[in-house]
Amino acid sequence: MNNGNILKGPLGTGLLIVSAAAAIAAFGYAMLDLMAVGHRSFNTSSQMPWGQPIATYLYFALASSGLGMIAALPLVFGFKQFYPLAKRSIYLAFIILISGMAVLAMELGHVFRMLWVIPFNLQIQSAMFWMGVFYVADLLFLLWKFQKMEGREWDSRTSRQIGIASFLAVLLASGNLALIFGMMSMRPFWFDGLMPIYFYLTAVASGLAAVVFFTYLAYGFRRAAMPAAMRAMFEGPLPKLFAAVLGGTVLFIAVRAITGLYTNNPEIHLVWRDFLFASPVYQASLWLGIVLPFAIMLMAGLRGNPAVQVLVSMAVFAGLFAERYFFVVGGQVVPLFRGTWEWGLIEYTPSLTEWALTIMGSAMLFALYAAGERFLNLSAMPDDFLAANGSEATA
Amino acid sequence: MTKWGMVIDLDKCTGCQACTTACAMENNTLPGENWQDVLFYHEGTYPTAKLTWLPRPCMQCENPSCVTVCPTRATYKDDEAGGIVFVDWNKCIGCKYCMIACPYGVRFYADEQPVVEPDVRDVFPGEGQLWAPPYQNPESDARRGIGIQPKGVVSKCTFCYHKVSQAPEGVADLDEDNPETKEYVPACVRTCPPKARYFGDLDNPDSEVNRLIADKRGVRLKDHTGNRPQVYYLGSGADVPAYDPPSDS
Repeated sequence: MNNGNILKGPLGTGLLIVSAAAAIAAFGYAMLDLMAVGHRSFNTSSQMPWGQPIATYLYFALASSGLGMIAALPLVFGFKQFYPLAKRSIYLAFIILISGMAVLAMELGHVFRMLWVIPFNLQIQSAMFWMGVFYVADLLFLLWKFQKMEGREWDSRTSRQIGIASFLAVLLASGNLALIFGMMSMRPFWFDGLMPIYFYLTAVASGLAAVVFFTYLAYGFRRAAMPAAMRAMFEGPLPKLFAAVLGGTVLFIAVRAITGLYTNNPEIHLVWRDFLFASPVYQASLWLGIVLPFAIMLMAGLRGNPAVQVLVSMAVFAGLFAERYFFVVGGQVVPLFRGTWEWGLIEYTPSLTEWALTIMGSAMLFALYAAGERFLNLSAMPDDFLAANGSEATA
Repeated sequence: MTKWGMVIDLDKCTGCQACTTACAMENNTLPGENWQDVLFYHEGTYPTAKLTWLPRPCMQCENPSCVTVCPTRATYKDDEAGGIVFVDWNKCIGCKYCMIACPYGVRFYADEQPVVEPDVRDVFPGEGQLWAPPYQNPESDARRGIGIQPKGVVSKCTFCYHKVSQAPEGVADLDEDNPETKEYVPACVRTCPPKARYFGDLDNPDSEVNRLIADKRGVRLKDHTGNRPQVYYLGSGADVPAYDPPSDS
């Protein structure tokens, strides 16, 4: 019996097989290129060292953090109406982080060397050192918390403590990730003490997009198939939270854009004028992927509609991916010295190998998600919560 | 303690790129991956346009931002070696964060698309190394990033440490015109035809580099970053013009 979850049946197996095949194919393509010609297969350069694979990692890592924060609503702060999302959010946070790390591993020059040189050299002054520490802690706490949920241990003292530790790890990991960019005064487009707040907001936005989309996917995009408590959440608090978070994201982007366009500093001003707003892709992602979804979610008559919620989640998914891409590349497009090698903005278009890594990470996420839906009970909720909110939610 | 510094007189520099070529030959860098480069700019518009240029080696900063961001301590400042900033190729993981953090754009990741065609890595393919040029610096030292750059690591100017480190202890200046020191002078300094470059000990008050910095008002590039380069510029043109896109100029 699947209790409405269509991925517990052959569809789930099919999605698992197709996604795994896509992930393996993309990995194989990228790996062959990397083994044949190394990072020559990337379109990055010494003047543009971080390209789309880094943007993909950033997107996945922050989506994971956002999901961790969403799970903290019921698990740490006691907003019990979000219990129906908790377990799926924790699981998604874990697998999105794993997928992001897989992409990052393919981007680095020496990924296996990293495993010993970072712990043995303890460069605590580097934000990237702390990124490793905090995201590993995040990963372990997510796994531990999930294991407690699997054992139906939702509210024990240990479970609560792990939940709090997990939330702190999420805050530290994503906040520190923001500082990797935000502390670079030589890259004025990124240099911003409020970058962690921006990352927290957009992390929750992408996390919400992920959990909304994947929850609907599990139930065949039919809200009627969902457990009562989950339905109630999709009809009430969740779309309001989504609207609020998107509003915060729009506000933050607007503030950054206004200050960026106002300043005379060409390393900020020109990025906004000649790179971001000059790009139809950025314009589309901003207006259709962030602003329009926000406007739609503001409308009480629309935000509760299941089809609208799915479309908004997909639009935000794409919009925020583009936002990450333009953020990472935008910090590097103005050459540090104009002249000989670069007369205009540095040009960069991701290569097929770089796209293959993005596809690999995405397909890996879908495969791990399908496996989770197929073999685990991601819609589980605490017994006392179920008793109070309808008991059919056992899928 | 010795603190090696370089002084570049822009009033004497002709932009001939001999330094760039000598550096590439000495350090086996790939074409275009110029640890030492001369950047050409044009400023103004006709009829008052002018061409100007700026030689740019690694600044070997006193307070290098590339060092603190490196998560593995692969990039380090060696005070025992005159304050030169090195990359330990055995520790570098190729995360490229140092390239992001360097305000001067003088770090390179050779495992990328060729800057100049044809790709010499295919012309001189190497076994176990990125490429095998006909001449190879015999004094390779992976711990200091000297030699043929391996795959997947970052490289940079070392002030020709393999030469400088052989200099007599306590010497104030390494002058290519002095027979006793000429063999220890960095390749870019030794080859400079108009003698626009000087190399010496910034911690020695009697050194020529200190005298020039004081007498001719030496300045450091992008000093607002707080990196405090050990490379100084003399003469006009040491102020780097702000980026100005071709469409606006």
